[in-house]
Amino acid sequence: MVNSVIAGLTSGGGYALLGLCVVLTYRLVAVVNFALTAVGALGAFVMVSLTDRGVNALLALLAGVVFAALLSALLGAALVRWFAGHKEGTKAAVTVAIFVALTAVGVRLFGGNTTGAHRFPNPFGAPLFTVGDVVVPQSVPVSLAFAVLITVAVGLLLTRTRIGLKLQALSERPGTAEVVGIPAPRLAVGVWAGVGAVTTMVVVLVAPRLGGDFSTLSGLISTALAVAMVGAFRSLPLTLAGGLILGCLEGLSSSLDSIQKYQGVVPFLVILVLLWWRSRREIWDTEHGR
Amino acid sequence: MKRTLSTAAAALAVSVTVSVTAAGCQSGDSTKGPIKVGSINGITGLFQTPEVPKAVKAVFDEVNAAGGIGGRKLRLISKDDAMDPQRSSQAARELIKSDGVVAFAGSSSAVDCGLNRATYSKEKIVSVPAVGVDPACFTSPNIAPVNPGPYALTTAMLYYASETLKKQRICIDYTVLPGSGGGIENAIKKWTELTGKTLTHKNLAVGNGDPTRYLVADKNAGCEAVLYNATVAPWFSQAKTQGMQNVDFLLAANSYTDANAKVIPAGMNAYCGAEWQPYTDPSLPGNDRWAKIVEGHGIQKTAFSQGAVMAADVFVQVLKGIKGDITRASVTEAFKTMKPVAYPMAANPWVFGPGKEHNPIKGTRFVKADGGGWKVLPEGFTVPGEK
Repeated sequence: MVNSVIAGLTSGGGYALLGLCVVLTYRLVAVVNFALTAVGALGAFVMVSLTDRGVNALLALLAGVVFAALLSALLGAALVRWFAGHKEGTKAAVTVAIFVALTAVGVRLFGGNTTGAHRFPNPFGAPLFTVGDVVVPQSVPVSLAFAVLITVAVGLLLTRTRIGLKLQALSERPGTAEVVGIPAPRLAVGVWAGVGAVTTMVVVLVAPRLGGDFSTLSGLISTALAVAMVGAFRSLPLTLAGGLILGCLEGLSSSLDSIQKYQGVVPFLVILVLLWWRSRREIWDTEHGR
Repeated sequence: MKRTLSTAAAALAVSVTVSVTAAGCQSGDSTKGPIKVGSINGITGLFQTPEVPKAVKAVFDEVNAAGGIGGRKLRLISKDDAMDPQRSSQAARELIKSDGVVAFAGSSSAVDCGLNRATYSKEKIVSVPAVGVDPACFTSPNIAPVNPGPYALTTAMLYYASETLKKQRICIDYTVLPGSGGGIENAIKKWTELTGKTLTHKNLAVGNGDPTRYLVADKNAGCEAVLYNATVAPWFSQAKTQGMQNVDFLLAANSYTDANAKVIPAGMNAYCGAEWQPYTDPSLPGNDRWAKIVEGHGIQKTAFSQGAVMAADVFVQVLKGIKGDITRASVTEAFKTMKPVAYPMAANPWVFGPGKEHNPIKGTRFVKADGGGWKVLPEGFTVPGEK
């Protein structure tokens, strides 16, 4: 059982990265972006399509990142242009529709889960050390470091910089932000482009572990949302912790025979309980704050 | 006058209704014109097999060019269900009720069998799928696919691991569709009955996400051979990281694609049950017939198109044996009372027969991942229980 939990923990960094991308988008542009991993997967597949043709991996990665950034910016521009005054639910619904469309296009272009499998470059696949029976590859500390970097960098950006302040204003009161002279649409589209670029890098990093075909990578949004829920779509450190918790729970649930059948559900049940617990405290605080 | 008009209107309404009913509801009893045969295929959607109806039609065209069956031509009516349950049920109803097909041949849908099995039984119509995907294809009274399917294949893979590869500690990591866990358990039990051996480790709930936890559990259990049926690329990438180069992995037929052969890293041992003679070598016995059909019509060479040619061939053979009119009733009767048909591309003779469930093909050949492709292994077909 200990080995399974350790194995699960090694997946946590990748899960945390996915969750952080969701929270990042929500904190900066106030949209729950269901199309996030579909855009990232498209960028990743642009990259492997180029490496398959003999293009240098770094150049191909750059091309994939730029492609996803542009696509994400386009999506952001559409949301800013046509859905700026709408509720969060409406914007989320738009991204769901885009997720479905991008997944259909991606599967058509790059094949399904058996015909479209690709081997992604795995530069951090070499073993680093062994804990119990689990070989820990370099990709584990790299994922964790990337996750910590995003958490710290975005935290600092939002709290310590002028642009961060503008971004927070934009996310919380877009109308007011524009009135006080913050160039809201341009800033928002820039943020969308940045999120698209970061997500592609994350998808490329986790692909050797989590899936080599388009539909699996695009479908990582469910994991990303589950992790983001732990951080209640706001807290970056809690989201990071959420990735590690999800990994541990997966490892634990697959090692216990009695709950093995339900292992797909267990992490989500625990997250639901966590959410309920958090909201219960909030209701309590609200009641007593009156 | 008014009364005459209303009577005329009523008469017109009745005649329209009658003619619509006559045109819109056919029973498959017609003894003139083409013999209509239905198929439900995934053409769009997540499960795509566009080559299947093309290959079935190619076989039918060949039969028609030689004069048809009893002077009647075969006409395939294929409907795309796009893996959409509603479209699949509607397609079956339309083919049976409106088109009046005598039977289904060469279906290849991920949802058809489970959704339409009751309709096929109620309408007393048989289906010979080219590819049984859904486990319900192998547990229904009026459906008999030409591929071994997940249950027979699992028994054959276990048998190959224990009897041919001579592995002692055999494990299984499967993703099991809802409702088919019992079938897999029975397949394992059958192997135990035949060999007296039991599994070292079993996980029938492999899900999405990082496979490291399943691989570590296999390492802990000391597995020498692992049966696996889910996503290939991350599994082997992580198995390599975990140093499992000495384990033999046996993959199910859904993994037998060119793309998967390329993602298996060098040094890993990956075998795959091919269901029929492996399609990657058209020179194998029985594959010549299939290769001639698909090459002649520019159809993609896949395991699915093999199933299509086989389903069409056995279907034609049974229809040719019918004495008297070819109707839905006579076709169903012919399949339920037929004698086994030898078909060299498959492990053993194919038969429909009277049973309540049909899984006529019991064995498979194996291929091994080698240098980015699949190498055909020399052992021939593995049929559990037959040395």
